[in-house]
Amino acid sequence: MANRGGKGSYPPSKSGAPNGRQMVLISDDSDSDSDDFFEEEAPPTHSKSNGKASSDSLKTGGKASSFSNGSKGGKAFSAGKGGKGSASNAKPAMSDAELKLQLDMSPNSILLTNCEAAEMLQKIQGHMAILSEDPKIKIPESFDKAFQYAKEGNHFTSAKLVKEILEPLKDYGVNDGEICMIANIGPETIEEVYALIPSLKATRSINEGKIAEALTALANIKASK
Amino acid sequence: MFFHIVLERNMQLHPRHFGPHLRDKLVAKLMKDVEGTCSGRHGFVVAITGVEDIGKGLIREGTGFVTFPVKYQCVVFRPFKGEILEAVVTMVNKMGFFAEAGPVQIFVSNHLIPDDMEFQSGDVPNYTTSDGSVKIQKESEVRLKIIGTRVDATEIACVVLFANSNLDIACLISPRKPAY
Repeated sequence: MANRGGKGSYPPSKSGAPNGRQMVLISDDSDSDSDDFFEEEAPPTHSKSNGKASSDSLKTGGKASSFSNGSKGGKAFSAGKGGKGSASNAKPAMSDAELKLQLDMSPNSILLTNCEAAEMLQKIQGHMAILSEDPKIKIPESFDKAFQYAKEGNHFTSAKLVKEILEPLKDYGVNDGEICMIANIGPETIEEVYALIPSLKATRSINEGKIAEALTALANIKASK
Repeated sequence: MFFHIVLERNMQLHPRHFGPHLRDKLVAKLMKDVEGTCSGRHGFVVAITGVEDIGKGLIREGTGFVTFPVKYQCVVFRPFKGEILEAVVTMVNKMGFFAEAGPVQIFVSNHLIPDDMEFQSGDVPNYTTSDGSVKIQKESEVRLKIIGTRVDATEIACVVLFANSNLDIACLISPRKPAY
């Protein structure tokens, strides 16, 4: 992920080139052997020692996370240290295939963009306001946080229009998850799209024109903030 | 990412709740038990949007409680590998920094913050690069890309990197605020 993006790059509120420094992650063995436990494969390009990060370890000041490769022991993430770096000197930490979005929700689930979620939660909030008058009913904190996140992550004025603009991209090699990410990120340029969603590069020759058109259409319905 | 899914749960109800408002009491109990929880499989249950079906109740022997299978629709939030999260830094200290992306809280240990970034204590604690060009402090917005996840029954751990940079940062995403 060596490319620099537009809005929302690190950190978006401050200017300056992101530091291209990478870190070596050294940590302890994982003790993650619960039966309820299932793990996703860690990127194979980074394989130093294992790591552990849990709420217990946070008490002691935090250790590195461990990500097992489906067996006991595991791999951790690592990256080499460099000198004072700039984005141009840094190597990409992971390949495009490794950074591909991996959705593994159940088949009956419907993916929601932030704008759709914001509209849905807005309606629910109306009901919540009535329920909150009852002292026995407590509105969970996660609802407010999720609603706030969806509202702030919503860059557009209408979820329906966003869907109409992005839906046709499915015919050009863009899957649902990638469409959702485009809607959630709200990229301004085509290069930003490919930098943040590298899996689209594989079908760039097919989808570049259509994505560029979609971005132009999305710019017309962008909400002012 | 947000999802709208249908889940099923067995709800137990005490006989004192039986009566003309049985369904309402079941739904209220469902909301109380489920909303705000986190599971490794589905992520955070943000809100229940509807109840699809309430099955026939089965009396549990010996207790008198009745178990009802309830199918309900809900909005969930769960991070995935390859996803980009826009998070807001909530706290910075010498151990690292906390950020929030919706209901998920992300902790980034100082061990995984580049050596070039030094912790600066003071009124506004922050991590700053040596040339001062990049600063992470409270309310800073950071864009993180998840490059790995591990889930168990009640929490999700993710490895993230700052999008558009090559900073690999491992973190724990947990529904609980860690004590330290």
